[in-house]
Amino acid sequence: MTLDGIAVPETETPAGRCEYCDRPFPTAERLTLHKGLEHADELDASEQEAFEAARAEEETQLRDFRLNAIGAIIVLYFGLLFLYAIVT
Amino acid sequence: MPSSPESEDAATGGEKESEEFSIRPAALRTSSLNFPRSLLVHLLMLAGMLFLFAGLGAASNGMTLSKQPRDPMSIPRWLYLATGAGVIGASALLASVVTDREYIHGVHTWSGPELSVDHWWRPLVWLGRGVGVIALALAVYLGFTGPQLPTASFTILVTFVVVRAGLPMVTYLGGNLWPALNPWRTLLMWLPTGFIEYPRRFHRWPAVGGLLLLVWIEVILPVSALPRVLASMIVIYTVLTLAGGMLFGPEAWFKNADPLAVLFDFFGSIAPVQRRTDGLTITLPGSIPPDRDVFTNTSDVAFVVFLIWELTYSGFITTETGAGTIEALVGMTDVGVLGLQARAIVVYTGLLIAGFAVFFGAYWSASLLSRRYTGTYVTARQIAFRFAGPLLAIAAGYHLAHYVELVVSLSPALLMVASAPLSPPANPLTLAPPGWFDGLNIAFVLVGHVVGIWAAHATAFEVFASRLVAIRSQYPFIAVMIGYTVLSLWILSLPGATPPFLL
Repeated sequence: MTLDGIAVPETETPAGRCEYCDRPFPTAERLTLHKGLEHADELDASEQEAFEAARAEEETQLRDFRLNAIGAIIVLYFGLLFLYAIVT
Repeated sequence: MPSSPESEDAATGGEKESEEFSIRPAALRTSSLNFPRSLLVHLLMLAGMLFLFAGLGAASNGMTLSKQPRDPMSIPRWLYLATGAGVIGASALLASVVTDREYIHGVHTWSGPELSVDHWWRPLVWLGRGVGVIALALAVYLGFTGPQLPTASFTILVTFVVVRAGLPMVTYLGGNLWPALNPWRTLLMWLPTGFIEYPRRFHRWPAVGGLLLLVWIEVILPVSALPRVLASMIVIYTVLTLAGGMLFGPEAWFKNADPLAVLFDFFGSIAPVQRRTDGLTITLPGSIPPDRDVFTNTSDVAFVVFLIWELTYSGFITTETGAGTIEALVGMTDVGVLGLQARAIVVYTGLLIAGFAVFFGAYWSASLLSRRYTGTYVTARQIAFRFAGPLLAIAAGYHLAHYVELVVSLSPALLMVASAPLSPPANPLTLAPPGWFDGLNIAFVLVGHVVGIWAAHATAFEVFASRLVAIRSQYPFIAVMIGYTVLSLWILSLPGATPPFLL
């Protein structure tokens, strides 16, 4: 991805810039994930390790998110079901 | 060189290691995923959601062009709207559970084998060109000389049943035929062109303005009732298009300024049949091929949002509530300056522009909110461009819901008139679509949105490196999509009426 369409708001300082494409990121974690995804061929061993750690952390957060999302689907489904039962 | 085997080993070792993670871009591109099965799962999920709606759809009423009495709705309207919102919300939640980058990318960019078309492509293109030019000539000639009855008029049937309704359907459900059919493009082949370079700073704004004007003419002038008026408009359109094409060159004109060509181009970008360099290929509906950069300017987004708004608007003014709103507004503006007819035109125009501003504002605020909420450095503009593709699927769903009855009911008349244009039938056949078409319309609106939700999900994963950010970035857009859905489902549930004060 080129730097078109990327801008740092005036009130913020980026947590870091990508060494390979100069793209700024608001958090170090997103920078690590970006490097692992977009510059996988260029990473050195420590960067690769950092990427895998960030990815494992992301996976944990995603698991929590998925549980919430499935919970929301269930609430939505049964909510509508009961609404139909009451109204009609 | 002694070191080369070692480095090669290291390279392959690295390759292997990251393949286990299966997130490398190279792995993404070459992934051979078991596509049909995963598609089946998705279709089943979709079918399940629609099933939830099936009973409801059959019972609710809908917007039609015919003004028949309708069945009353068997459930309260708010519950029907809440269920529609629930379908969009549930599909967004379901999509957000899918977080495997490789899988999402694979589904979104899947394409079938390319089919070589070299042998028959040129004759087909020339056939299309011939059909287009003959249809244009006949439409103008018969508009002035033919019967002034809408259902027996070649001009009106070709303009509304084919160009307005049928061809866009062929485009987003099949492939884009317009570049070959476009009669003005064909005529420009024999005219001197390209005197001035197209001013780039105009981008696609002329097309946005042109489409707005076309819709305005469709509402205000009796173009769908009097073939003579329609033929005059076609003549004006022809003169303008030929002049523009000659001045700026056909490529620039049809890419940026001609509303019809841009409309078909946009719908064509989500079409399942795509033209590649070597031939034709199949992609999934709703996914824009990765090599096509469709949205690069605010005007492109405005055009797509206008497509959605325009269909909502023409749906609204043909309902009792819409007609009542227009009458109330015209009554309120009675300050003794303008006559009734003029005030009605002002109200229709104002509503068209104000509603467009609201729709566009809603979409743009979603991009701003998405940026603020995720704290990303991707600009709101860029986010708006990237998420505009899914809007095309929504526009296609609306279009299908809006026009499928028109095509079905008037296609026999079109066939009769087109098979003998010079001796039109005195009493052309029209069909009355069965009642379950109303349910079908609701399904089209919902399917368009569900495809849009999936396309937005895939887009978010392309834009953002962090998957949690990618999921969160969609929330404002899902809210806007729910808003659009509820509005159009509400319009579909209102009893139909003739727009007041118009000729």
